[in-house]
Amino acid sequence: MSSLKPFSKLPGLNTANILLVESEEQFQQSLADALVEETSVTVNVRLAKSLPLPLENEESRPRIDLVVFIINLTSELSFQSADASLKYLDPGYFLGKVCFLVTNARNASVPTERLDTVRKLAASLHCPLLFAEDQTPDGVTNATERLLTILKVAAGLVPLATALYLSNLTQCTVPLDIDQPSFD
Amino acid sequence: MSKRRRGRDVIKVGGILNRRRLVVVFRSQANILQSMAELRAAEHAAAELSEAAQAELLELCEEQFSQLEKLQNEIILSEPDYCENLQEQSVNRLIATEAELKQWLAVEPKLLAANSEVLLEAGKEEMLKLSSELEMVASCYEAKTEKLRETKELELKWLEEKKQVLLAASDHAERLQLDKEKISEQSILQDTKAKIHKMKVYQERLMECLGDVLEKHVPLPQIESSTNKKKKNIELGINENLISLNEILEVLMNKVLSTPHDTYVTIDDTFWPPYIEMLLRYGIAVRHQENHFKIRLETFF
Repeated sequence: MSSLKPFSKLPGLNTANILLVESEEQFQQSLADALVEETSVTVNVRLAKSLPLPLENEESRPRIDLVVFIINLTSELSFQSADASLKYLDPGYFLGKVCFLVTNARNASVPTERLDTVRKLAASLHCPLLFAEDQTPDGVTNATERLLTILKVAAGLVPLATALYLSNLTQCTVPLDIDQPSFD
Repeated sequence: MSKRRRGRDVIKVGGILNRRRLVVVFRSQANILQSMAELRAAEHAAAELSEAAQAELLELCEEQFSQLEKLQNEIILSEPDYCENLQEQSVNRLIATEAELKQWLAVEPKLLAANSEVLLEAGKEEMLKLSSELEMVASCYEAKTEKLRETKELELKWLEEKKQVLLAASDHAERLQLDKEKISEQSILQDTKAKIHKMKVYQERLMECLGDVLEKHVPLPQIESSTNKKKKNIELGINENLISLNEILEVLMNKVLSTPHDTYVTIDDTFWPPYIEMLLRYGIAVRHQENHFKIRLETFF
């Protein structure tokens, strides 16, 4: 199993690398276009349909600072694909370098259980769960800003903040009314 | 059995230690990255720094970078620890957080560089950045204040309108209250009397009107025939005691009012037959169903 590791390569100077994983490849591109506009740091965006990443690009691939799983709530496949990809990540990533981005959560045709499932997944992995609107330019800008905030911290570019520290504050928590496994 | 367990425990403790160490390494690497970013920024801003200062900065950068590389090697050499299940990952996370906390407690703030020139430049840049950010905040607040002021004006206007409405409503209520207090049996009686009087006057006027109309348009038969009527009257056998239409109506109405249970009036020879015919034709009077000589006023009410 070739898994992606967070510390396998030397970091670049003043550079942040983000990997967007989306099985449907709809939101990825517009988000990537908006992300590279950032001027204060060099942002490299890598796109993937799913993990594991192909071996042939292994050499040229920079070290990935943040992995974002984009989940379209209207499609069950989108969630399954993200779930399957998770096991190709090094556990080190789950210390604040993974986040989930959910789209279409407001769509009326989405069964509520699906959002609960995503929530549970994010909570069990201690990852933040973001919601985004992918249809409007405003929504894309908002999502970009939120991702950049996390990315800068995950890439170690923000003094006095670390990815683990941030994720301890922003990790998704499951509300108590969802059936939760008891820890006693 | 117990030996084996102990052995596993030792391995576990070792794993934890290893992880802790790794976290520390990751942390230090992140720290270096941050300070390097700061250094770089300072260097970037301070192009006009003296040569000594620039050299010092460069040296610092070099030093940091070599340390970074050293740490990177250490990371790569360290054995990877896989934790498959979720619980182990949670434990891992707890350990990492603890380690980070310890490091935060232990860390001591240190100067970016010893050279005052560098510090001055870095400080200047920081201040500029901060001031521009604060300016943005200030302008944002100004806009917000402006908006709030507008809202306040609108609300004040609204309030004024509402006050006026309240004033009008309470005025009205007060007036009604006053009226209510003033009203007594006496005044009601007075009111009713006035109304009755008004109605009476009105009725009188109507009656007069009716009388005028009847007098003008349906006069008594003998008046309309003046000279050669005697003959005619005799020919037609008209009774001299004929009563006017006016009187016929009066008789009918009085009958209705005096004996409502029996409203029929017997026709005698004082009723001029053409008038009876007219009354019947225009639906003012109705003939008795059985008795041909009886009529009554049509029920208009």
